[in-house]
Amino acid sequence: MEEQLKIDFEKKLKDFSYSDQEKKFKETNFKEFLKNGFPNRKLENWKFSDLNQIIKNNIGELTFYNDYKKENQIDKIELISELEHNKIIIVDGKIEKIDFKFEDKDKIDVLVEQSEETIKENINSLINLNNAFSNKFCKIIIKKNYSLKKPLIIYHSTNKNTQSKNTNSRIDFKLEENACLRLIDIFKDNSEKNFLNIYYNFELDKSSILKNYKIDKAINNNVKYSYNNVKQEANSISETFILSSGSKFFKNEINCDLQGQHSSAFVNGIFDLDDENHHEIKSNINHLVENTKSYQLVKSVLEKKSKAVYQGKIFVSSEAQKTDGYQLSNAILLSENSEFNAKPELEIYADDVKCSHGSSSGSLDENSIFYLMSRGLNYKEAKKLLINGFLLDVIEKITDEEIKNLIKDLLGVKQ
Amino acid sequence: MLKINNLSAKIENKSILQDFKLEINPGEVHAIMGPNGSGKSTLSNILSGKKGYDVTGEVLFENNDLFSLETEERAHKGIFLAFQYPLEIPGVNTNVFLKTSLNAIKKARGEKELDAIQFLKLVKEKAKELKFDEEKLGRQLNVGFSGGEKKKNEILQMSILNPKLSILDETDSGLDIDALKTVADGVNALRKKNNSFLIITHYQRLLEYIKPDFVHVLMNGKIIKSGGPELALELEKKGYENIN
Amino acid sequence: MRDKQIEDLKDYKYGFSTDIENFKAPKGLNEDVIKFISNIKKEPKWLLEWRLKAFERLKVLKEPDWQKPKYPKIDYQDLYYYSAPKSFKDKPKSLDELDPKLLETYQKLGIPLNEQKRLNGIAVDAVFDSVSVATTFKETLTKQGIIFCSISEAVQKHPELVKKYLGTVIPLTDHFFATLNSAVFTDGSFVYIPPGVRCPMELSTYFRINASDTGQFERTLIIADKGSYVSYLEGCTAPMRDENQLHAANVELIALDDAEIKYSTVQNWYPGDKDGKGGIYNFVTKRGLCKGKNSKISWTQVETGSAITWKYPSCILKGDNSIGEFYSIAITNNHQKADTGTKMIHLGKNTKSKIISKGISAGFSDMTYRGLVDISPKATNSNNFTQCDSLLMGNKCGAHTVPYIKNKNSDSNIAHEATTSKISEEQLHYCQQRGLNPEEAVGLIVNGFCKEVLQQLPMEFAVEAQKLVGISLEGSVG
Repeated sequence: MEEQLKIDFEKKLKDFSYSDQEKKFKETNFKEFLKNGFPNRKLENWKFSDLNQIIKNNIGELTFYNDYKKENQIDKIELISELEHNKIIIVDGKIEKIDFKFEDKDKIDVLVEQSEETIKENINSLINLNNAFSNKFCKIIIKKNYSLKKPLIIYHSTNKNTQSKNTNSRIDFKLEENACLRLIDIFKDNSEKNFLNIYYNFELDKSSILKNYKIDKAINNNVKYSYNNVKQEANSISETFILSSGSKFFKNEINCDLQGQHSSAFVNGIFDLDDENHHEIKSNINHLVENTKSYQLVKSVLEKKSKAVYQGKIFVSSEAQKTDGYQLSNAILLSENSEFNAKPELEIYADDVKCSHGSSSGSLDENSIFYLMSRGLNYKEAKKLLINGFLLDVIEKITDEEIKNLIKDLLGVKQ
Repeated sequence: MLKINNLSAKIENKSILQDFKLEINPGEVHAIMGPNGSGKSTLSNILSGKKGYDVTGEVLFENNDLFSLETEERAHKGIFLAFQYPLEIPGVNTNVFLKTSLNAIKKARGEKELDAIQFLKLVKEKAKELKFDEEKLGRQLNVGFSGGEKKKNEILQMSILNPKLSILDETDSGLDIDALKTVADGVNALRKKNNSFLIITHYQRLLEYIKPDFVHVLMNGKIIKSGGPELALELEKKGYENIN
Repeated sequence: MRDKQIEDLKDYKYGFSTDIENFKAPKGLNEDVIKFISNIKKEPKWLLEWRLKAFERLKVLKEPDWQKPKYPKIDYQDLYYYSAPKSFKDKPKSLDELDPKLLETYQKLGIPLNEQKRLNGIAVDAVFDSVSVATTFKETLTKQGIIFCSISEAVQKHPELVKKYLGTVIPLTDHFFATLNSAVFTDGSFVYIPPGVRCPMELSTYFRINASDTGQFERTLIIADKGSYVSYLEGCTAPMRDENQLHAANVELIALDDAEIKYSTVQNWYPGDKDGKGGIYNFVTKRGLCKGKNSKISWTQVETGSAITWKYPSCILKGDNSIGEFYSIAITNNHQKADTGTKMIHLGKNTKSKIISKGISAGFSDMTYRGLVDISPKATNSNNFTQCDSLLMGNKCGAHTVPYIKNKNSDSNIAHEATTSKISEEQLHYCQQRGLNPEEAVGLIVNGFCKEVLQQLPMEFAVEAQKLVGISLEGSVG
């Protein structure tokens, strides 16, 4: 693999006219990745999901260079019609289109210059891989007091000829004071056996609000990793909702630094898994100052040989008095071969806090099924009804009505 | 017995009590009545030694400066507070708690501590008097007790610890009429020449059963009117707005 | 008066050392030392070979590094692996022959060994550094066919049992400290309860580290044969010394069909001084195998001592319908560190496990609950309930919860709850208003917090443990 990486990296550097600074950044990251490679179960964070093995089993040999000269098939991507929206279209890791047609142009900036700060980061080997192989830098700035009129949908797609490829994309966002962004990620895969690596950086200034809905519904054989790095100033709110379902493997990692007072983070998720899909959510909520709040709710419905993993961590520093941290995960195992793993972790250094977590997993309640069947439903209907009820709880946490309805439709969940 | 001179209290710079004055002599029963937010609970908190208040002025209890005493030292000297919201302490058996308190007070006074048998005898007797369900004494302190049971438990503790000055902070709230009578009986049983009471309440209905010697009206942190038991009735009729 | 008492309590009560002449193996860890230990214990060849096999394995093992408390590198060549009072070179045959200084030591610790003053209803095996010094109530137990003796004696008198079960729960190759123990273990207790026998009294081992620069590597093996029951208690103390001392024990429990083992520990090794100097490294491997159907193993621990505690008493629920329980109170104060919890491995059908953990941290200490619940695909209709509560006192300490939950069986349920809180000002005020001083109030509230676990302890131990809970937190309020 190392050989392939080196060849592809050389090609990459030639393809784009990177500045010296960018080149240096990419080289540093490339070296780091070469050193550490894909994460495996020896790393605590990857204990339940050995990515190295998963790539081997599902993809085989990966290549890392993408030739963007060929037809990008951007028109073949089926767009969401139920909802008016702004869009960004990413194909094979390359941003092909940015369209903010519903917004005031002077309220949104798109930067392509990379700042010193971003260059210094060193988060994990997959971010190193991303930084080494992603294309030109892109940062979207939402100006002070501006709320986007319509949501922004980012479509993640692959070209139909793209196979056994690693694609990398990165976007940085800055929400200035009191700005508001609704961001939806939708995955539209046109080919199989690729590894998609997505990295978002969010800076939330005072009183800004970010809502990020990640929808992985369409069935596909790709392996995906997404990392959201969120830094929150005072009174800001981040809401992340993850519908984890269609991909072969998907790990969503959310890192949230609550560094301003009265900031809050919400992470909610649904694993709706079938076949041999293996999905994971890993959250790190870092309470760094007083009076911050976090809430996490993750529910899983697991069929056949599927496997869901939820690793949720609440960290409370010794300064972060009056922290309110809550975390709950519930799983229903519908097949004897399905598996649910959880590691709800608390690391607490302040005494005046309210932190708790709960986790439960088990089968569908036979008594409830019996009750419903005694009222005339057949087994299938009863099961469906109970699962709907089970999941509705999380969906109701979505604060945006339009998007809530969209997700209900996608899941076939009725009120 | 208790002398309060020019007591003022603030919490986070908000003034709650101002130049509060009160004197209670041995054997007297005083009632303080006032609407919500008038400073009633603050008064009981300060007398029992709760932290978090900025306090000026002077409070003497049997000529001891109260502010130089810790909460438990005040208890040792004979001040008892029946809490408005008695605390639940999970895992701690009610009997164990009572015995520990009683012996801590006895020890501080240099009296002989009670052994388990003596204690149980005492507690059984008192529980019977107060119609307190004995079975509850074996349960965790106040955990799963109804509002009325918690209040009765406070009175039971009072009668076992036998204090000189008992402060009853809204003990009547949340009680049905039967429970109210039982509580009042408990208090009246303790009324002796040397035992004093400070009854803090919103309504006069408790005062129908425990006859006070003096009634004071507390508004905005100050006593605006004092009188005999008839003042409570007047208040009930006119309301707090129209007194004065 | 009160202050004086608190002063007395604050000092580690068991910190004295016994001035006794010791007979030691040469310092260092090598084959010769292992042969020396085996030789002095007149062990059969198979056991020496077993030890050497462990030592071979040890050479390739690394010390684990995933635990939260870090410790300075231990120089394994700078330790004594065997230390015994000199008078033990020719083992005394009865208590009358025992060195009076030893008797006195145990008397001071509150564990009288002579039968006239023996503890009511508790048979004691006392382990002093590397050797077992006395076992009480032997005759009473023998009448029922119960074997309760030091493991060294068991190797001589019941080799077939030792050979059959030793290392079956904690294999030779398990992990660094367990393997180290297998190579150099010196003494410990052995219990065998024959089929259908309900052990009429509590069996107890009392461990004491006395000699300096000495590691204690005891090995305990308890076998409850079909339909039998035993309750076993373990207590530990050590003198106050400036250097850290290593204690790496292995405890194996085996419960056959319908058998039950209840294992309780009150661990009060020297925790080091207020500034974190000295204290015991308590790196212990404890594991129970519910081998037979309907068997039950229950661990209860009260961990208040040691500079670093690092242990996970575990249950392997192999037999159908078997039950595993873990009740734990862990308290850290000053600079103590603890990383403790349990593993419940469900293999058999209808297996059940319960975990109740109460962690309290004060001062500059750090406490981690780490646990694993693993329900395998074959363990149908199994369930686990976990309740994990932490109490923090002050904001210089830490409390962490790291549960690993694996459910691979759709007919099985796992429920896990955890909370972190502090003692509320209101609760303290309430208790103080009733005349308790802050220390007493905290003791009372903390004992309430721990009640579910304290209830699991046998009477005699529960009283001791309650006091210990209060004492361990002295100086952490106000």
